[in-house]
Amino acid sequence: MKMKNHDSAMAIHISNLSYRYGNQAVLEHIDVDIAAGRFTVVLGKNGCGKSTLFRLIAGFLKSNDGEISLFGRSIATFSDRERARILGFLPQHHRPVFPFTVLDVVLTGRAGHVQFTPKEEDRLLAHQALVRIGITALERRLFTELSGGEQQLVMLARILAQKPQIILLDEPISHLDFAYQAKVMNIIGELVRENITVVAILHDPNIAALYGDDFLCLKDGRLIDGYDRRQLPSEVLEKVYGIKLTVIQFAEKNLVMPTRKVDHAVDD
Amino acid sequence: MTNKVKIALLLLLPIPVLLGSLFIGPSVAVAPGRVIAWLAMRLGLTPADGSPAATMVQLVIEDVRGPRVLLAFLVGGSLSIAGVALQAMFRNPLVSSYILGLQSGTAFGAALALCTAWLPVQLSAFVFGLLAVFTSFFLARKDGKISSVTLILSGIVVTGIFTALLTIVQVLTDPFKLQAVVHWTMGNLHTASWAKLRTTWWLMAMGIGGLFFFRWRMNVLALGDDETRAVGLNPERQKAWLLLFSTLAASAAVSVAGVIGMVGLVIPHMVRMLIGADNKMAVPVCFTFGGAFLVLVDNISRTVVTFEIPIGIFTTLIGGPFFILLLKKAKIGWELE
Repeated sequence: MKMKNHDSAMAIHISNLSYRYGNQAVLEHIDVDIAAGRFTVVLGKNGCGKSTLFRLIAGFLKSNDGEISLFGRSIATFSDRERARILGFLPQHHRPVFPFTVLDVVLTGRAGHVQFTPKEEDRLLAHQALVRIGITALERRLFTELSGGEQQLVMLARILAQKPQIILLDEPISHLDFAYQAKVMNIIGELVRENITVVAILHDPNIAALYGDDFLCLKDGRLIDGYDRRQLPSEVLEKVYGIKLTVIQFAEKNLVMPTRKVDHAVDD
Repeated sequence: MTNKVKIALLLLLPIPVLLGSLFIGPSVAVAPGRVIAWLAMRLGLTPADGSPAATMVQLVIEDVRGPRVLLAFLVGGSLSIAGVALQAMFRNPLVSSYILGLQSGTAFGAALALCTAWLPVQLSAFVFGLLAVFTSFFLARKDGKISSVTLILSGIVVTGIFTALLTIVQVLTDPFKLQAVVHWTMGNLHTASWAKLRTTWWLMAMGIGGLFFFRWRMNVLALGDDETRAVGLNPERQKAWLLLFSTLAASAAVSVAGVIGMVGLVIPHMVRMLIGADNKMAVPVCFTFGGAFLVLVDNISRTVVTFEIPIGIFTTLIGGPFFILLLKKAKIGWELE
């Protein structure tokens, strides 16, 4: 078992990253290192550039400026297949069309490894991924007939079948009920303990505080600076969301609730 | 019945269907006993019978029924396999090659050739079919990306343009040629010959072969563009390959047999209902089942009444109600959003 190294190993290095869509600046001068084997949470209001940042890291978009590297290697030098063997990406809410079985869906995670059709070992890895998530009972069920929570667990198994070292999750729990939210977050925790680097966009700052190791806060395309990224101070959250917050102390963590008078906005 | 048995039966289905279809036809002189005698002769079990009757039987089976049955099989298989590929790549179970303008493109090409004699009919139909689909494709392409919605929209536009051009040709031509054009667009397996097979089988085979190789990747693409890119395949590139192969197969099929409706749409649905959505198995089964289906429909169309019902009309008459039934009743595992 590898020791968890908090400081030296950088999974993702981003320097001076900017992205414009037409004349609209979506991200400006992002500089950040994301530590390997830790769970980094990205917070921010809708439209602040979180998803764009993920799509740039995942190689779906090309930046106008700046540099992204995975374990020291620039993403520009990766082929799609090479990148998929290191980096798994869960896009926002998947909508299935065809009634594939769960195993067939998980098996597609092997696409970056196989030539044209998967082999027996790929089926085995897909099965292991289902075991790992604890959903072997669903193996032969139809993906289209599962609940939203079950579907999300299957999509996580698909990423595990991909065998990546870094996993990006874009709002993995936004459409799930309370129980499945906890289930997904606990699975993420286990993956991080196995030294996988997980970066997730979350909307709930309390779930972020309870499970996250490091916190990145985006506002209007820029990272908020000037705080210890291992903490999630309520002042920073007030700045991120532009609302007044009440702090509750729990288990040595600061949890927050919106202060009840909604129109009492903090000045930017 | 387990899925494996079902798949095996469907894959072997063409053997009895193709052989059995040799027995079927309007020619009274070619009785089933005669066909068996011919088969025994061909298998070397009995010596060749030089009588005029036996020679006639041989002629009917080998030069009329044989090529017709084989052509129907290849055309049905090509249209079905192209349909299943396009449905996967567009993530839309209502798509077939006709939605991209193939039908109107080939019909215009055939009409132009029939009325002007500038080009061989088949070649002209094939070329204009490819032209229509690739026009739809490149019209829909923006910044190197193709959205399914724009592709279907541009398919509608291209269909409209070629239909308008077809109408112009029909207006300008004389009534006899007009009749030939109308007959062509209704599907025309009765003109099947070895010569027609020779000029098109390899185009259909290339398309079918390519789709067979890409069949598992259709599973990946069917999950969506982001989901495809996330596991390391470039969705645009994969779609371009699938479009190329399915257009080759479908365009060659339509160029030789005319417009045969509903097969490319309905067969993939039936196959998914029978054996499940996994394209690794659904693609080969679509080929064998779609081919056998068209052979059977063709058997009916050439025997049920004294005149021959055009095959394209027949498949549409059978396929249309069946498809509506699918939409209304059956659990087909997807919902229109």
